[in-house]
Amino acid sequence: MDTLALLANGFVAAATPTNLTFALIGCVLGTLIGVLPGLGPAAGTAILIPLTFNLDPTGAIIMLCAIYYGAMYGGTITSVLINVPGEAASVITCIDGYEMAKQGRAGTALAVAAIGSFIGGCISTIALTAVALPLAQLALKFGPVEFFALMVVGLSLVIGLAGKSLAAALLMTVFGLLIAMVGIDPVRGAPRFTFGVEDLLDGVGFIPVAMGLFGISELMLAADSRLLKPISTRISSLIPSRREMRDCAGSIGRGTVIGFVLGLIPGVGAVIPTFLAYVLEKKISKTPERFGKGAIEGVAAPETANNAYANAAMVPLLALGIPSSPTIAVLMGAFIINGLTPGPFLFQERPDLVWAIIASFFIGNVILLALNLPLVGLWAKLLRMPYHYLCTGVLLFCILGAYSLKQSVFDVWVMLGFGVVGYLLRKLDFPLAPAILALILGPIMERSLRTTLEISGGSFAIFLDRPIAMVLLAIAAAVIVTVAFSPKAIEAVSEDAQ
Amino acid sequence: MILGRALVRCLAVLALLIATAAGAAEYPTKPIQLLVMFPAGGSTDIGARIVASIAEKELGQPIVVVNKSGAGGQVGWTEMSRAKPDGYTLGFINLPGLNTIILDPERKAVFKADSFAPIINQVVDAGIIWLKADSPYKTLGDLIEAARQKPGQITACTTGILSDDHLAILMMEEAAKVQFRIVHFDGGAQQMTAILGNHVEVAFDNVGGIVKRVQSGEVRALAVMDPARSKFLPDVPTTPELGYPTVLSNSTRGIAAPKGVPANVVKRLEAAFTKAMENADHVKKMEDTGLAIKVMTGDEYRKYYQDLHAKAAKYTEWARSQQR
Amino acid sequence: MSATMRRGWRVATIVLFALSIFTIHQSVELSLMDRLGPGPGFFPFWLALLGALLSLILFVEVHRTRPEGPAIPLMPRGPALGQVSLIVASIAVTAALLEPLGFRLAMLLFNGGLLFAMGERRWWAVALFAVTGSFGVYHVFNNWLDVVLPVGRLGI
Repeated sequence: MDTLALLANGFVAAATPTNLTFALIGCVLGTLIGVLPGLGPAAGTAILIPLTFNLDPTGAIIMLCAIYYGAMYGGTITSVLINVPGEAASVITCIDGYEMAKQGRAGTALAVAAIGSFIGGCISTIALTAVALPLAQLALKFGPVEFFALMVVGLSLVIGLAGKSLAAALLMTVFGLLIAMVGIDPVRGAPRFTFGVEDLLDGVGFIPVAMGLFGISELMLAADSRLLKPISTRISSLIPSRREMRDCAGSIGRGTVIGFVLGLIPGVGAVIPTFLAYVLEKKISKTPERFGKGAIEGVAAPETANNAYANAAMVPLLALGIPSSPTIAVLMGAFIINGLTPGPFLFQERPDLVWAIIASFFIGNVILLALNLPLVGLWAKLLRMPYHYLCTGVLLFCILGAYSLKQSVFDVWVMLGFGVVGYLLRKLDFPLAPAILALILGPIMERSLRTTLEISGGSFAIFLDRPIAMVLLAIAAAVIVTVAFSPKAIEAVSEDAQ
Repeated sequence: MILGRALVRCLAVLALLIATAAGAAEYPTKPIQLLVMFPAGGSTDIGARIVASIAEKELGQPIVVVNKSGAGGQVGWTEMSRAKPDGYTLGFINLPGLNTIILDPERKAVFKADSFAPIINQVVDAGIIWLKADSPYKTLGDLIEAARQKPGQITACTTGILSDDHLAILMMEEAAKVQFRIVHFDGGAQQMTAILGNHVEVAFDNVGGIVKRVQSGEVRALAVMDPARSKFLPDVPTTPELGYPTVLSNSTRGIAAPKGVPANVVKRLEAAFTKAMENADHVKKMEDTGLAIKVMTGDEYRKYYQDLHAKAAKYTEWARSQQR
Repeated sequence: MSATMRRGWRVATIVLFALSIFTIHQSVELSLMDRLGPGPGFFPFWLALLGALLSLILFVEVHRTRPEGPAIPLMPRGPALGQVSLIVASIAVTAALLEPLGFRLAMLLFNGGLLFAMGERRWWAVALFAVTGSFGVYHVFNNWLDVVLPVGRLGI
């Protein structure tokens, strides 16, 4: 009962013309940041923190949260239009989103992403207001042991992304994991596979790798096929048809649940929810063969999960004071600069502020939808640009993005190298998504296993005492066993790609 | 209203910038890059952005904070050690993190202790030992007693291998003749999750990050590892008070330049940053986040840097020998 | 699988196999296990072993299939090869020039050069795109977004 009254007060505080202006500016800036590859949400938010120095705390936080959401959505736009993920959470959207664009359905893909994001974000915020505190406590049960188990489940599901050959998908997973090993060892600090190159100390960044494997290789393939024409000359209806909306209603629902639940667990990151949502859709679909060929569910589910995650990830921050992703850490820094330390005491000390922020999440989601739906047509029209302009523009964009990530030319070379590798592997029909996902999951997996063993003093028996970890590992084992030992499953997997 | 005021302020700053830039041809004549070796939003980054926003008005040129995080700072310090010593590339040095990277042969760092010219220290953040409020260990004595009963079984976590927290655990083990089971995390957030979720028993950390949580009663601080009590937590005893005068640990961060930076540039920077750090706005913003300001410049800071390096050498070697 | 595709897979699996063996060799030099559990070499070692095994399986699998279908050339030839190389070369040249020339000049060259090479002959369109995509982008990033882009030896 109190909650509703508090939330109502929050709306009153958040919906002042000044704050609405901040939310609007934040959404616009955020979308821009998301669109620019390399300038991910974390870096973008950090850059804009000084802008908020002179604002009052409520306005500052509202603006930064809006930037955060805007960036999460903006990343989708480039994924769909040019196969270049603007940020990590949009990697999986490339698979079907870009296919849709090639079929002239870019508008539909972007509209569905906007609608799904809106629904996922709003439901997630409602759930946040209702159950934030108890759930946040429960999520703390996820320690390094459980994390390792969760990563194993994630990798076992990579099989769900397999194309023609299961062995090829696994080999690509191993390839991605090995790339993830480059750099300073996360536990002991010893450099591995750096061959004396200092730029490799911090490892191979996955944004340049993703831009190379997906974006650059795509342009090379297009040049190769001698089809020097716009990706799509025809743009069908921008608004999804009623049938398409019905198709993805379930996907949006499932995406919301996955995004919200995983958002509660500190440290999961935005990628895993999107990718689990995608694999789940493919698994339960009656027509899994459509995935990878422009299935609208393949855009709706991950994009919804992405935004549901973004909103739910505020729960550990507000309820426990724990930032669950780099971007949230930046937001936490902004809170602190403005004299507020997030955590349970913040609810007691400044309930007015906390509820105004929660209310602003709703407002931010509405603004984002209102802002993006009309723009969808404009974005889609970009694809009508003559090919050589589009190609030059995209490459310019990629070089700029790769460079600005760490202000390093080395990342441009990494991008180019993986562009060539991606081009060759795609020629041979090797699946690339498992490699990029393994690159993201690998470091978390290695780190959590080794931390687990530090806690147990080197004994693997620790897994037996942890029920959550046992259940997760059992799920992973079941997934692998069913695929490996059922000829039917292998057939189903190999049919996917044909 | 507020937006309008902010705009006026921005314009004022802009006008000032133009005026100063036009008047003086001496250093600085173009924007200065300030490297921060940790991710945006962390406490080093916050401190850097606060001081940069004030010092740029003193210097009359924008100071751009650039995050070059990775490998515990090694990536950024490598770059800084190679930058031109013209005063347009400055960087934060976090001690003793920088020292242990230099001292640990496994890290194969390309920079040495004298690759950097310390200019001014900003923050000193004392070490602190804390655990969850419902932990059975009420005092440091309880904890040490338990560690004595169960050698190598009480889990104690750090914010990174060879961080100041790691060295602090080693000092405690040496002083109390006990052994902990050391668990390394990536930073404060992971450490907090692990303690609140009962995955690890005790944390070695710094005061700055947890003042609010101690005050709210969520966690219990056992001891501050500093000769004097923290002004943010006056009720928490210090390690010397509890009989461990050798267990002293802190983390400091300040601004340095690549070696060979001209003396006039150092002087200009010292003056500008001293003024910025003494600015009331800077003091208030830093103290709100629980960070104690300690301005050290010139010989004082350089001596501090060298003494610390010698002390860190001993524990780095010991930490490495334990692993084998 | 066509004959050309078969050849491609064989080459790819051999390369990946060699890469795995090299990684195994490198990981054993790092410590695999010590008193405190798995060392830095633990994960790379087992992963590379798995990688070697998988690439071997794939090689054998491909070897046992028979070529079918027409042998469509896998790699581009003629003008298509030119277009593909143009993309790779333009990025490589720009990456090499980014720091010596600075972002603005390197990008001016990149935009103008690539557009011209791809057949655009309207000089005003090339110039407009090239200037916007170099000086314009620099202005937005450097001045509005606070992202430092390289300034070359000529001072711009």
